This record gives sequence, structure tokens and C-alpha cells, in this order.
Amino acid sequence: MRRAIFYFLLGCVGAAPAYLPAQDFKVFDRTVQVHGFVSQGIAYSNDNNWLTMQTSVGSYSFTDFGANASMPLTDKFRIGAQIYDRNLGQLGRWHPSLDWAVADYRFNKWFGIRGGKVKTALGLYNDTQDLDFLHTFALLPQSIYAIDLRDSTIAHEGGDVYGSVSLSKKLGTLSYTGYAGQRQDSHYGGYPYLLKGAPALINFSSYGGLQYGGDLRWSTPLKGLLAGISRMDENIDGYGTTTAFGPLTPYHEWSKADWTNQYYGQYAHDKLQIDSEYRRYWRNQEIYSGAFSVQTDVRGWYVAGAYRVAKRLQLGSYYSRYSIDVPAQVGLGVPAESGHIYDKVVTGRVDLNRFMNVKVEGHFMDGYGLPGYYPSGFYTVDNPQELKPDTSALVVKTGFNF
Amino acid sequence: MKSFRFHLIFIVAAMVILVSASASAGGVKIIANSSVKADSVSADELKNVFLEETSSLSDGSHVEPVLAKGGAAHETFVKEYLGKSDAALQTYYRSLVFTGKGSMPKTVGGDAEVAAYVAKTKGAIGYVTSETSTEGAKTLQVK
Repeated sequence: MRRAIFYFLLGCVGAAPAYLPAQDFKVFDRTVQVHGFVSQGIAYSNDNNWLTMQTSVGSYSFTDFGANASMPLTDKFRIGAQIYDRNLGQLGRWHPSLDWAVADYRFNKWFGIRGGKVKTALGLYNDTQDLDFLHTFALLPQSIYAIDLRDSTIAHEGGDVYGSVSLSKKLGTLSYTGYAGQRQDSHYGGYPYLLKGAPALINFSSYGGLQYGGDLRWSTPLKGLLAGISRMDENIDGYGTTTAFGPLTPYHEWSKADWTNQYYGQYAHDKLQIDSEYRRYWRNQEIYSGAFSVQTDVRGWYVAGAYRVAKRLQLGSYYSRYSIDVPAQVGLGVPAESGHIYDKVVTGRVDLNRFMNVKVEGHFMDGYGLPGYYPSGFYTVDNPQELKPDTSALVVKTGFNF
Repeated sequence: MKSFRFHLIFIVAAMVILVSASASAGGVKIIANSSVKADSVSADELKNVFLEETSSLSDGSHVEPVLAKGGAAHETFVKEYLGKSDAALQTYYRSLVFTGKGSMPKTVGGDAEVAAYVAKTKGAIGYVTSETSTEGAKTLQVK
């Protein structure tokens, strides 16, 4: 395994160009910018398989990439689009998707509109969670930014209104985003993957629905201190088939209440950055075409710190705490259960140049959530043996962007 | 004697503070293409323009920021006017570019390149060290 990591890093570093600027060209006297990124990781855990990968024997199935093009049409009007693809264990499976495609008109500082497929503003990092090169950590805190539930919050097909207002020098600046649109999940996300297995045996043909909400963030007068709040409401329908009761029958599930509240703060000063977020996700839904009612209550928070100890070296650590409650379910006869994952993380990030980095990260986890009920990184189907209560994992990841 | 030493230390310390303050305040000048009507700009406007929150000044002049890849003027400008480190600024721009919420601003080599680019490009606004020759570009007073 150590030899594999060594050759993996050697290959990545050797193959990467030292310098590749963004590609710009002109169309009708307007500059088109082309940018892209790719990341490759390797994950190894002691016992439990994690994030749908066979991490207990070491997994290289940890790749993603994206590319975009954008251009201004006028001084205030801009268009662009990005494709994204990933292969993370059983997630993504090399099925490319339109990540975002927007037309954006900014009237002035305090008011703009954008429409199309738009990345959703939710907390500090929802819209940038795939962009590995922007973050100190190889994996963002999974209590909030669960990599297997990316589809559920990443973007909406609809529109945003946004802007920022300077309150005064003594009060700082308020930035806002309001949005509404349709969420459409991939067939290769964590939720469909979970429900394909026993005992649910559900195969979705479509999963998504209305998503609307807002984000308000305050850049305080104290330099580097940011505080914010986000809210998202959803009305979700899932259609497909199930064999849970024997023969193949149509399946429908829908939400009666589905909301997310998120509170966050960030402090950045010189080489230091400290982040903290809290999210609560509540879902009340009808499943098996209305035969049963299920409530899910997920809470997560983390505190993260990162410090640039040298021009090319950043060290970071976070503590992430995830808990899920599934109250006694009406009709299912399921007793109330709760699960948790407490994750202690240490990371070193080396920037080889402006375009390429390598991260080495250790995770020390207590608990595995509720694998049978809701995606939390650990899946029964990936762990046919009994899940062990603790998991240690090593993640090595390298990324390149231009 | 004690009092004299105290006063001497006080005077030297005050001089050091004054010299360093004037060096940072006078280290950078803001320049713009001659097509820009304004003769002055506020620190807030500069921040808004360089963080891509607006593309015009308060008098309606359309402006496009140009950055230097590095150097003393860049370090000072980014820290004092934008309140960020260079690494944080690059992260900020990349987050805009890869989420569809902005674009990468024009970036050129150093002071001479910034001055030359601003002089020839309609609406361009940039920063250079005070000593840089900026022929063909206008200097904006920061209010």
C-alpha cells in the first residue's frame, strides 16, 4: 500500500505541467475564458469501507474533473457553463453532468440576477465543495458537506437574485442571495445507491423537485470576520420501482416537510483561517407510495483551523460531529434509533506551484451513522461484515487547475 | 538622564511609525485609462471593482481591473485595499470562476506592464508603485 501511494504521487507530480495558464481567446471582440481542474485521490482505511469505496484494501477510485467556458456579452451581462464528472467508488460512475450554465446580469452592486442551472448558496462551501484546490482539506467536514449527498444541494435549475449592501464603515457589508428552482439528482448519488440495496430495493427513475431558499452573510467591521445564515426548503418527489414486496411494483415517495438551516462563521487573518458551521436537516416524507411515513433529523457541526506555515505548506485540522435521529416510524414498526460520526482530522497541503497541490489527510472516526436509513459515508452493502465502531482513514489527494 | 533616554526612545519610535506609515500610504498609486472620466475614487469603490462586485465607478465610468502577478505594489494593494492575502485573493477569484459567479481578472507581470496595459486599454484601472512612470495613464486620487 505504501509503495502504491509513493508511485501514485510520483506519477502525478511527474506528469503535471509546471505552468499552464488559463486559456483565453476572442470571439467578436469579447474574451472567452476557459478553465479546468482535475483531482485524483487514494483512500485507505483500517476496517470499514468508506464513501462507497473499497477503502479497507485501498482505493484509487477517487477522481473528478471539470471544465468551463465563460464570456461577457456586455459590461454587465455574462454567460458561461461548466461540465463536471466524477468517479468516487460507486458514486458518479463517470457520468458527466452539466454542473452549471448561467446567464448573469448585474445591474449594480446591490442587485443582480442569474438564471439557468445555478450553484446553490448554502453555508460557506456548498457551491465550492467539488473544488478541491480551493480548500485546505482533502475532504470537507462530512457532517455538513457529505460527499455522497452532493446532488441534494449542489445546484438548482432556476434563478437567483443577489447583491451586497455596504451598511457603513462601522457596520460592515451584508451580502444576500435568494433562489428558487428545481433540483434533479443524478442516478449515481448516495441516496439512490443506499435504496437500491436491501431492505428497500428501490430503483429510482427520477428524484428531485422544488428547491428554494436564501443566504445572508455579514462581513463584519472586524477585518476578516464573516458570519452568515442559510435556509433551504424543498418539495421532493422520487419515482421508480421496487421489489421490496416481491414482484416489481411502481414506487413513489414525496416530502411533506424538507428543510435545512445552516449557521456559519469564518475568521481569516494573515496566514490563519478558522471556520465553523452548524447545519440541521429535517425531513418528513411519505415512502412506498404513501404506505409509511418517515422522519429524519440530521445535525452536524464542525470547527476547522488552517495555518500557512510556509509559502507552499499549509497545515489544518478540524473536528466534525454528525448525528442522525430516526424517531419511531409510524407504520414501519421501526424503533427509535440514533447514530453518530465524530471525526478528528489532520491535514497537510503542499502547493507544488500555483496550479497543483498534494494533500495528505488523516481521519479518526468514532461511529458510522445509521447506514440502513440515510447516507452518511458508511453503507451496509459495502460492509457485509459487521461495521466496526471506529474507523481510521488515510486520504492522499492531488489536484491540478488552470 | 533617565528622562532623556525615555524621550529619545519615544522620538525614535515615533519616527519609525511615521516613516513606515507614510511609506505604506504613499507606496501605491491608482492609475486608470484616460477614457475613465473620474479623477478620484474611494477605497470602497476600489474594493468593489477589484472584487468584481461592480464594474463601474460612482460617476458611471465603466472600469476593468488589472492586477500584477506580484511585487511590492501588489502586496500592498491587496492587503490594504482588499483586506486579503494574495493566496486568499486567488482563492476568491477561482471560487468565482468555477461557480459561474465571475471571471478571472486580467493579470500582467509587474508595474511597467500594468502601466502599459492601463495606458492602452479602454476602462482599465490598476495600481503601481509611486515611482513607476505612468505616461499615457491618469492617476486617480483615493478619497
